[in-house]
Amino acid sequence: MTATTTADRSNRLAITRVGGQMIADYWEDLFVAREQGRKIVWYNGGALNPMFQAAGLAWCHGEAFAARLAAQHLEGPAQLAGAEYGYNAELCSYSRTHLGCAVLTLQGTKEPESGVVGLHDRADLASRLPAPDFFVNNYAGCSTGQQWDEVSFRVFGKQVPIFNVSHPFLWGNKPDAGYLSGEEWESASKYVRDQLVELIGFLEAQVGRPFDYDRLSESMTYIKRAAELRREGLDLCKATPAPATFWDWIACVAPINFLPGNQALVDYFQGVKDEIQDRLATGVSGVQDERYRLYFDGIMNWNKLGFLARKFADHGAAVVAGRYIQNAFWQEPQLIDTSDPLLGMAQHYLLCPTNHGNKTLEYLTLRDCREYDVDGIVFHSTRTCRAFTGPQRLLAKAARDQLGIPSIFFEGDVADASFYKEEILDSRLVAMLEAIDIARERGDHKLAGAGATVVGSS
Amino acid sequence: MTSTTAMDRLRAAARDHRAYVEQWRVRHPGRPVVGVTPMNFPREIVLAAGALPVVIPDDQRPVGEGRAYLPEFYCGFTRNLADQAATGRLGHYDAILLADHCIQLLGASDVARALGARTPVFFGMLISSLSDSWAPARITEMMGQFRAEAERLTSAPVTDGALRAAIAAYNADRALLRQVFDARAAGDATWSPADLQDLVASALIMDPVEHHALLAEALAGIGPAARDDRVRVHLSGHLCHAPRRELLEVIEDCGAVVVDDDLWTGRRYVQSNVPLEEGGDPMEAIARWYAERNTRLPCPTRVQHDADWDSWLVDAVRRSGAEAVVHLMPKFCEPHMFLYPELRKALDAAGIPQLLVETEHEGIPLESFRTRLEALVERALRRRPAYA
Repeated sequence: MTATTTADRSNRLAITRVGGQMIADYWEDLFVAREQGRKIVWYNGGALNPMFQAAGLAWCHGEAFAARLAAQHLEGPAQLAGAEYGYNAELCSYSRTHLGCAVLTLQGTKEPESGVVGLHDRADLASRLPAPDFFVNNYAGCSTGQQWDEVSFRVFGKQVPIFNVSHPFLWGNKPDAGYLSGEEWESASKYVRDQLVELIGFLEAQVGRPFDYDRLSESMTYIKRAAELRREGLDLCKATPAPATFWDWIACVAPINFLPGNQALVDYFQGVKDEIQDRLATGVSGVQDERYRLYFDGIMNWNKLGFLARKFADHGAAVVAGRYIQNAFWQEPQLIDTSDPLLGMAQHYLLCPTNHGNKTLEYLTLRDCREYDVDGIVFHSTRTCRAFTGPQRLLAKAARDQLGIPSIFFEGDVADASFYKEEILDSRLVAMLEAIDIARERGDHKLAGAGATVVGSS
Repeated sequence: MTSTTAMDRLRAAARDHRAYVEQWRVRHPGRPVVGVTPMNFPREIVLAAGALPVVIPDDQRPVGEGRAYLPEFYCGFTRNLADQAATGRLGHYDAILLADHCIQLLGASDVARALGARTPVFFGMLISSLSDSWAPARITEMMGQFRAEAERLTSAPVTDGALRAAIAAYNADRALLRQVFDARAAGDATWSPADLQDLVASALIMDPVEHHALLAEALAGIGPAARDDRVRVHLSGHLCHAPRRELLEVIEDCGAVVVDDDLWTGRRYVQSNVPLEEGGDPMEAIARWYAERNTRLPCPTRVQHDADWDSWLVDAVRRSGAEAVVHLMPKFCEPHMFLYPELRKALDAAGIPQLLVETEHEGIPLESFRTRLEALVERALRRRPAYA
């Protein structure tokens, strides 16, 4: 059988390779942290890494580690270990992968107990993750996050200290409730900020020395600058054709989400912005012959990143924006006062893209669809992520009713490739793009929205 | 079991809550009916405001139009709620109040909010991390918000006196129900699991004074019935909504007798009273009720380092003399999925046979369950001493 190849029409930013190396170096450094005498914290949810950096810790973001395993197609052994331990396959695959790592890490310190996962796998993969000295949970939005770390605490025999930061869900009860505004926002911000003060006391007790506030300010100064550059780069991608796509920004998630706040981080995002600006100046686009501009809603399907980038580009579809990019990861840097960063940090934790009621999500989604001149929405119906998927059908309806934008749903998952349905995505994507073509010919694309379709939403 | 008039009325309320609500409205013109979501909303506050607080049940109808609003991998209860919202079946509530931060429940509630423009949906998030030093103050603050919301909905003040009366009414009803559960665990086989579920499910719907009176009438004159020698089982799990009655019937039909449970529509609801002392502050007591109830029967939706559902379950099994545990896990219930391995480990360590049954909202494969349940019963029987 002869393999057929098609030219890759995606044109990814070259700078992301630099980011990839930074991430690889970060994980290698974490794997040897114990030998270097550093204490290790496992955490989930919002980006607490500046606090850990200031406290002189090594940190492992559970979701990030699960995502990395999935992106490298190395998630299998951890997920098997989790399954053997008893975790149901419908459980959040981030948590299932990470808990599987916990099981493997524990087994790595004892005689092997598993008949499923081989010694070679354990040595090479998840068990490289050093066991935690303590946990910190900082999960906004999804109730699963807090339960996940509580179970990690129990898997480790309740012998490892744990600290929880509780985040009010920004439901929007009151008439004044809005994005970054209203009494609910103000009170929630203060409540979480006060808990961060408590967290500092916990960290001091764990490391046995006073917290270094100056170091926190320094780290947050770098992160704020990196976040500003990231936002400026995102704004540049409103151009038609887009100089870079959602997939490029996905490749930039890890650096902004958990790498140390330092000059290297700023340099990286300066490089990202510079490359985008250079592309604009020279007329280079992120997708060859861009014909469609799409919005991607859903948490990333990590084991399909390059694959999806090529698939969409193959149809001339530039995915130009998405909830997981525009509305996440230090996305409102103006909130950060670097001399006293705790409030701005707390606010960013609250701004997790799954921590809003539908009214706010509708506002954000429609705003971004307008600003990026979007033709259609692709909803990644992320099988084991109820937090991201819950409001998607209401968002699809709002986009259709208010902007006349069609949408499709496809099923996949954050870290479990078995849920990805290739043919469903293919057929629905083609159908939506054809519908956009027809609507353009008729001249009613993105007008009243009457008759626009939501493909595969039932 | 019995077919008394009182029992019939309780059963009717449990199985057709909308009819009960209609009747209640006729008897209480002008007073609002408030739907509250399970499992932690303090209904006492709503009752004290003069409204009827109904714990919104899964109405057990197949999910149709609701499929357009929530994905199929949400739990059956929340998909059913979305379906109720999509088809106007939540229209008998004047407001909906939530206290539990479950992402699936919030998803369904957002559907209700989006589709029911005239029905306010208020979410006051009770802190779920109960080991934190700031949890008590946060709980008290949120209970105050519930009180303010109840006053706003009814345009009437919630007085301390009315709160005390509401607490007393619910406490009395739960205490009477608890007696039935305790008697069952001690050997009384009067009530089938389906009947007991009706007793609790009706309590989740009805005015507590009315429920208590009917319950007392239903219990009157019914002496204890001795257990037979079927295998004694404990039913565990099924948060937020009731398991299908036919499943409960199959369990007993397979040679088992249910002797205890920790189901939401079972012991989990009745386990704890609001600890109001003579002259005490009723709001403080309600806050304590929430803060402490997780230690009385640990719930996987809460995070509390010193409250262990697994050890509670082993202790409960020892108290009732159960010979096996049947885990009833609603498909896609993440808190239950997280804790299940810990439950399994603890029961294995204690040498207690167990079976996991994953329930679905539609299409329960009863015959498949029957085979597995029969295997569990056989396994438990083989463990009995030869002379038994």
